[in-house]
Amino acid sequence: MNSMLLEYSLIFMVIAIIPCIYRIIKGPTIPDRVVALDAMTIVIVVMLGIYSSVKGSAFFMDVALVLAIISFVGTITIAKYLDEGVVF
Amino acid sequence: MVLEVLSNLILIIGLFFVFLAMLGLARLPDVYNRLHATTKIGTLGAFGVMLSILLRVGFSPIGVKAITVALFILVTSPIAAHMISRAAHRHGVGLCKESVIDEYGKACSSACSIKENE
Repeated sequence: MNSMLLEYSLIFMVIAIIPCIYRIIKGPTIPDRVVALDAMTIVIVVMLGIYSSVKGSAFFMDVALVLAIISFVGTITIAKYLDEGVVF
Repeated sequence: MVLEVLSNLILIIGLFFVFLAMLGLARLPDVYNRLHATTKIGTLGAFGVMLSILLRVGFSPIGVKAITVALFILVTSPIAAHMISRAAHRHGVGLCKESVIDEYGKACSSACSIKENE
């Protein structure tokens, strides 16, 4: 029963990636694409967390933490590049 | 048993907010409106699901890493949203035509006019 709920939530997370990809492809401006990419990364982080709990392995949680850090740094970098023209 | 029911409840709340954010990302007309919708999955969606995993497995390595990821996303997601909305506004991305007020644009233009007058 419990693991069934977790597996249904995995299927839901896979479906939740579709609007993000739609917005990345169609989004009129660059900040639209960055927002959609950030949302897709958080969805993938949540998916990795649920998958780690389903499999009972702690290593997928490390992948989720590294992906969250890379998403944060990438979003800040693109924002600073759009704002000022330089990254550092 | 109580922890299990609470964990399922928080998981369903987190998934509901992920659903709301995806709906907003697909349907809302403007980059700021979409940002307002998608910031919710950083705070409520991811934090809810990770808290549900912590309640489910207890303080095992999976639970401790889950709450670490949740706290990291809870701290960094609003910072990223603020940076990208500020960059979008200063890059010149306009508001949708239904919006009624633009305080930051007025503040920027008045600051520029003051600087020009000096």
